[in-house]
Amino acid sequence: METMTGNPVSSGIAHGPLFVYRPFHADVAAARFDARDKAEVLAKYEAARQSADRELQAICASLRPVDPEKADIFQAHRDILFDEAMDEDIRALIEEESYTPDYAVETVFSQYASMLAGASDALLSERSADILDVKQRLLRNYYGLPEKDLSHLARPVIVAAHDLLPSDTAMLDRGNVLGIAAESGGKTSHTAIIARSYGIPAVLGIRGLLGRAEDGMDAVLDAMSGELILSPDRETVSAREQKRVQYLADRSDAEQYRLREALTADGVHIDIGLNIGSSQPEELRNADCTDCVGLYRTEFLYMQSQHAPSEDEQFEAYKKVLLAWSGRHVTLRTMDIGGDKSLPYLPLPHEDNPFLGNRALRLSFSQPELFRTQIRAALRASVFGDLWLMLPMVSSLDNIRRAKGLIRAVRDELLAEGVPVSDSFRLGIMIEVPSIAVVADQAAREVDFASIGTNDLCQYLTAADRMNPALNAYYQTFHPAMFRVICQAVQAFVRAGKPISVCGEMGGNELAAPVLVGAGMRTLSMNISQVPRVKRALSRLTLAQMETLARQVQTFSTEQEVLTYLRTSLSEHQGKDR
Amino acid sequence: MYTAKTTVRNASGIHARPASRFIEEAKKFQSRITVQNLDHPADRPANAKSIVSVLNMVLNQGSRVEISAAGPDEEAAVTALIGLIDSGLGE
Repeated sequence: METMTGNPVSSGIAHGPLFVYRPFHADVAAARFDARDKAEVLAKYEAARQSADRELQAICASLRPVDPEKADIFQAHRDILFDEAMDEDIRALIEEESYTPDYAVETVFSQYASMLAGASDALLSERSADILDVKQRLLRNYYGLPEKDLSHLARPVIVAAHDLLPSDTAMLDRGNVLGIAAESGGKTSHTAIIARSYGIPAVLGIRGLLGRAEDGMDAVLDAMSGELILSPDRETVSAREQKRVQYLADRSDAEQYRLREALTADGVHIDIGLNIGSSQPEELRNADCTDCVGLYRTEFLYMQSQHAPSEDEQFEAYKKVLLAWSGRHVTLRTMDIGGDKSLPYLPLPHEDNPFLGNRALRLSFSQPELFRTQIRAALRASVFGDLWLMLPMVSSLDNIRRAKGLIRAVRDELLAEGVPVSDSFRLGIMIEVPSIAVVADQAAREVDFASIGTNDLCQYLTAADRMNPALNAYYQTFHPAMFRVICQAVQAFVRAGKPISVCGEMGGNELAAPVLVGAGMRTLSMNISQVPRVKRALSRLTLAQMETLARQVQTFSTEQEVLTYLRTSLSEHQGKDR
Repeated sequence: MYTAKTTVRNASGIHARPASRFIEEAKKFQSRITVQNLDHPADRPANAKSIVSVLNMVLNQGSRVEISAAGPDEEAAVTALIGLIDSGLGE
């Protein structure tokens, strides 16, 4: 038995076998075989193709009923695997030059991939990525190595990895992931956000994990204490099982609040917004337990696809979401690419400090066509509901005015084309860069609403990279400075009579939610997994009590004092549940 | 050898899904079939049964194409593929 520790980022407890995720990497060198072995070598190439095809067939069969679009991608991979032109070239290298099949495959596939990648057409460079993907699969089968992919797991497992990229989690086989353990990543990393929104227990920042974890090893992941216990003994398993039962009982207690209206103990209504990342049915069905969409992360539309989503594709997605919330507002955040999120079809220059770099709105300004397409799609969809457009990463009023000018031009262009645009759509900003938070009073005059992105705000305010686990102690969400900055921004917007909400992780935090309402917010937006607990937490206190919390937290000098105070105050009210 | 010409009509050209449909159809025939983009006559004709070769032809909406086949079912192959392009490749 061995216990490793990290940062618990998505609560829950899991017990099961480990699945060590190490993306396959082939290092193929030029090699020739003895010409007498030709028949045998060719048979080995063919066997690798067949075994790669069996994998692809299995993937297609399992995806077809649940996600036909994804199944189509793998169907196309089968076409590539058996492509005649590439096959002829590969066989020529083997038969005429006596090159080993792996080298022949590597050479020919790479050659075709770069041929397509060189085309100016975005759709073609997409195929280039597919060819390289099939090449990896074929080589891996040639070497007789098992598939290592998170898109379809054979049984329920705890995934152990160095890091999970957004492309890994986009394909995640959610039903079979009991828990996630990773060497890198902090509380607000992409992996953490995804784990929380799927309700998967996760512990990140476990140093040396891959040196210890082995495939199939029994493990307990305790994402309450932040521990990963390898090969646990029987007592440990039963103790954690018990803890798991308690956790699930508390969760089902909170579950009763899911469909209730969010009210404070004295009956003040609070709007509960939902953070969503797609127009998938499993997200849209949550319209019945939330009041609005407080954050629609449109970047996933860009990340899940191998090419820039077209205006029509975006329009369809936005329309679906607007219709699902039927008249209640949908806050559509324009693409937040850059920082930790990159796009396969949009190569960007390396930046030393990507979080301080050309990301989000800044990237939209430097890629005007991408931005224009997105705004066109959003404004076209505006007639199907109550659209609130939100700009990320705003640092000055200049940014706001420039974006406004671009959006106005798109609107005029659409109207000139005879395309209807709602005249009541609103324009707002994320408050996540400290400079705009400081001048929130001036920003409030320029825009219709604001939403505080507490993850980035905290990262920029404390100058602590949220992706670096070593800096977790410095990344303090409950730092008194956070509450001072948030409270003054809220007051600025309340005074201007404009809505302000929170859509960062703090909005879904049971300890923070009452404080934010006490500060003057009437909308909190969060992931679906956090909705029941937040509703329950709000029901336990009166507005006056929350206002006291908001005043008090600003008087403390350290995060620890704030946390102790909140935990003590809130636990006093726990017995009063209705 | 049997040959015929047409123009690509569907909005996204012969890419992605439409390209897969095209290859699927070509594979039903025994003849050796090639596709030539008539707007780029200098390019080497593509093997119609090779997805990567067809994609590399860059056949967009409005591209003029020539399909040639040689083999036992050459005429049927060309007729079927021209018909498929003219029907908009399922789009």
